[in-house]
Amino acid sequence: MIRFTQELLENLPEWGPQMLAAALQTLQLTLASFLFATIMGAIVALARTSRFPALRWIAIVFIEVGRGTPALVILFIIYFGLPTILPALEFDSFTAAVIGLGLQGGALLGEVFRAGIEAIERGQREASLSLGLTPAQTMTDVIAPQAMRIVLPPIGNYAIGLLKDTSIASIIAAPELMLRAKDLASSSFMPMHLYVLAALFYFAMSYPLSLIVRRLETALSKGHR
Amino acid sequence: MGFWEILVRETPNFLPVLLEGAVVALEVAAGAVCIAIAGGLLLAIMLMTSFAPVRIAARSYVELMRGTPALTQLFIIYFGLADAGLSLPPLLAAIVGLGMNGAAYLSEVFRAGISAIHRGQTEAALSLGLPPLDVMRFVVLPQAIRIMLPAFCNYAVQLLKDTTLASSVAAPEIMFRARNLVMETYLSMQIYLLVACIYLAMSIPLSHLAARLQRAAQAWR
Repeated sequence: MIRFTQELLENLPEWGPQMLAAALQTLQLTLASFLFATIMGAIVALARTSRFPALRWIAIVFIEVGRGTPALVILFIIYFGLPTILPALEFDSFTAAVIGLGLQGGALLGEVFRAGIEAIERGQREASLSLGLTPAQTMTDVIAPQAMRIVLPPIGNYAIGLLKDTSIASIIAAPELMLRAKDLASSSFMPMHLYVLAALFYFAMSYPLSLIVRRLETALSKGHR
Repeated sequence: MGFWEILVRETPNFLPVLLEGAVVALEVAAGAVCIAIAGGLLLAIMLMTSFAPVRIAARSYVELMRGTPALTQLFIIYFGLADAGLSLPPLLAAIVGLGMNGAAYLSEVFRAGISAIHRGQTEAALSLGLPPLDVMRFVVLPQAIRIMLPAFCNYAVQLLKDTTLASSVAAPEIMFRARNLVMETYLSMQIYLLVACIYLAMSIPLSHLAARLQRAAQAWR
């Protein structure tokens, strides 16, 4: 244990900056996937609550497939599978990871958004429509602000899960923390040191996030059920 | 030849190989669930004890495991421990890794379920003279299980999907076999689509069961 720590500290000047740069790539990957997932989630939620059965069914299939398929399989379909059918759909590994994680996140967030929208009483929607607000105004001024309180904690939890899931992108060689740890581990022959270091980096990113989410949960539940 | 023709022609060749992998994936999941339940119960009890060092130890474990990716944990157990002189076979490494990860997750589920049962019931049972273990077994757990079941099923779905990570430590589950098939045939899209279908066939029924149990639990409360 003491020798392990010593060796880790000895190599830290060399590994530290590289791992830090890779951690920033992980954050970029997380952020890009999160933005894509949010957009997809909004589209999915709107389709899922639409008046048109066809749209609802497409959304349901998308949600079930997105939630039921492992992220790794989705990444492999996009990164390795798509180019064999259509060469134009050849993405670099980072983009493929963003698309894959974003699509899956869209399915998860779609259900979160829908739950938020549906939790707001129907009567409120009817009331604001009958007061002469347009459907768009009803959504942005009446429903969305209230739904926000319900959806923020699950969105936060999704973001934490996503941060950890980006490690899977290393399997298609997308540049991020886990891939850098693997590279350094194979060049230094010290896998234990580097994977523990990687774990510490992930923890340093996800733990503050989870504290924020927990605080948000208690703050937002005050004065409500 | 078109994409679908190849898929139809090759599926009878691919499917048996992939289904063998599905059996391995289920074995990994089953082994991990056993470790996760045992570890989760132990952690839940540790989290609720009044002795601070035990509580802090359990809390640290849960936070560390939940704050780091399962893939990183798997690499520490498979590659890291091998370097430290303890090499586990891939399958065992996957079971231990996913099990230890699941224990942290389930401990929170168990704790929430147990603390949802009113304290008065425990006190009443204790004052009637039941030993603490019997109070747990006959009074608290039977009620808590109903509350915990939906979350447990959701965990099972997640675990099933997480078994794909075992392919990166060369455990011969579905993804590992799929990658080998792709190397032989180059038919990556067909093979990975089949893999997705196999996972969907396992995870969709399970997640619907979770949703149904959730509704039942709400009606019961």
